[in-house]
Amino acid sequence: MFRKFYLLFGLLTLGTVAFGQYRGWSLDTIDQVKNVPKSVRDNPGSYRSVYSSYHHYTGGK
Amino acid sequence: MSAGTPPLSAPPPKPQVRALNCPKCGAGITLRAFGQAETVVCESCRCILDAKDPNLAILQQFEIKTSDVQPLIPLGTRGKLRGTDYEVIGFERRHSTLEGITYPWHEYVLFNPYKGFRYLSEYNGHWNDISICKELPMVGGGMLSGTSASPNYLGEVYAHFQTSDANTDFVLGEFPWQVRVGERAVVTDYVHPPRVLSSEKMDKEVTWSVGEYMYGREIWDTFKLPGSAPEAEGVYENQPSPVTTNVKGIWAIFILFAILLAGLMMGFDFTARKEQVFEQTYHWERATALGESSFVTDVFELKGGPSTVQVKSWAPVSNEWLYLNYALINQDTGRAWDFGREISYYSGYDSDGSWSEGSRNDTVVIPSVPSGHYYLRIEPEVDPAVRAISYSVQLTRDVPVFGIYGIAVVALLLPPLLISFRWYTFERSRWSESDHPPMQISGLNVNSEDDD
Repeated sequence: MFRKFYLLFGLLTLGTVAFGQYRGWSLDTIDQVKNVPKSVRDNPGSYRSVYSSYHHYTGGK
Repeated sequence: MSAGTPPLSAPPPKPQVRALNCPKCGAGITLRAFGQAETVVCESCRCILDAKDPNLAILQQFEIKTSDVQPLIPLGTRGKLRGTDYEVIGFERRHSTLEGITYPWHEYVLFNPYKGFRYLSEYNGHWNDISICKELPMVGGGMLSGTSASPNYLGEVYAHFQTSDANTDFVLGEFPWQVRVGERAVVTDYVHPPRVLSSEKMDKEVTWSVGEYMYGREIWDTFKLPGSAPEAEGVYENQPSPVTTNVKGIWAIFILFAILLAGLMMGFDFTARKEQVFEQTYHWERATALGESSFVTDVFELKGGPSTVQVKSWAPVSNEWLYLNYALINQDTGRAWDFGREISYYSGYDSDGSWSEGSRNDTVVIPSVPSGHYYLRIEPEVDPAVRAISYSVQLTRDVPVFGIYGIAVVALLLPPLLISFRWYTFERSRWSESDHPPMQISGLNVNSEDDD
């Protein structure tokens, strides 16, 4: 029973990996924005990234 | 035929129940073994009587050491065990003493007039259905004469579990041997779950028996006993493992999956286009960076089906940071992937020596980006301490993501690890009670080979 479960589980895992690679999955999470106006190309400042004004780490010991 | 002459074919005389009484106390004695028992115990005065003697000669009288010795299956109880009707005719309590601890167990004598004797043993709720071996166990092609690490019986190899003294301290009912309270035997158990092979050596006589593990509920069902069977405590020597799967087989499947996964990884890595679609180096100066700092790149084309886009950023930062707000924008659809990446690198010396953290490189992989014409909007934010800095941006289309394989390996590892852990903890409990506790020998491996 467990053997069958594991065989199925393993095949599903391999299938998922293959499908993910084929479809270009990534481990990074990237936000998507729809309908960015074409004017951004001429006026980049008209678009503001959601990540702007990010609190920057100033690092070091 | 004349009157007064008995008929020629007279019917056989009816069986007469012979009234037997204890010669010691006069109490009635019940004989259930059809004359096949060697000894019978008077329940009233605890005399062991010679069942073969018409006068029931007294062989031994013993005192009850405890008043609570009551068989869980009353004498006279009948039940169908493995398709044969048996009656419980005898009961004894035995014990072993190991390292000052006494381990008592109970044995029941079962009888069927056509099949003979059979036995049940019970220890802490664990039951065994026991019968005398039909042939002597073999080892190394010869008959087994002493204790061996792995005797073979009917094609099954058994592992030595324990050797101990068994002392009889209470008896009741009938027995097919000359039972005595106080008798001592050396018992050696070999296991091949769910079976146990036991040799019982008393004086120069060795008796071999084979038992098969039974659950209390099976005994209760067999003998239609009231209530429910006592819960089994701990793990018994020949108790079947709850892990019925061949653990080695599961690991073999894991290795097969790992090989397939490696094949997938190499295949996708080999076929990935890894096409560099954009690369540019930019220079930022604080003096000229007044006003809007964002800008857009030239348009570049991403070809093929939905695939990854890797964005690599590099800057020669040293104890400073550079933050790049990115937006990968499809100029036709207006769809954008918005993300920010920080490049920072810090290093120095302290009492522990030199240290560093961060990196001058950053890589991010955007998932499933469809084909089309794209451009990047880049908005740099720079450490206030930096006056000028150059940084480069590189985009590569269709790169394999190896982290997915790492996750897959972990996922594939979990079931074998869980089943192995469960198997190991059970076997460890089993063998911790043996002469070969797991910390001393590799007995676990010996027994895992047949765990299927």
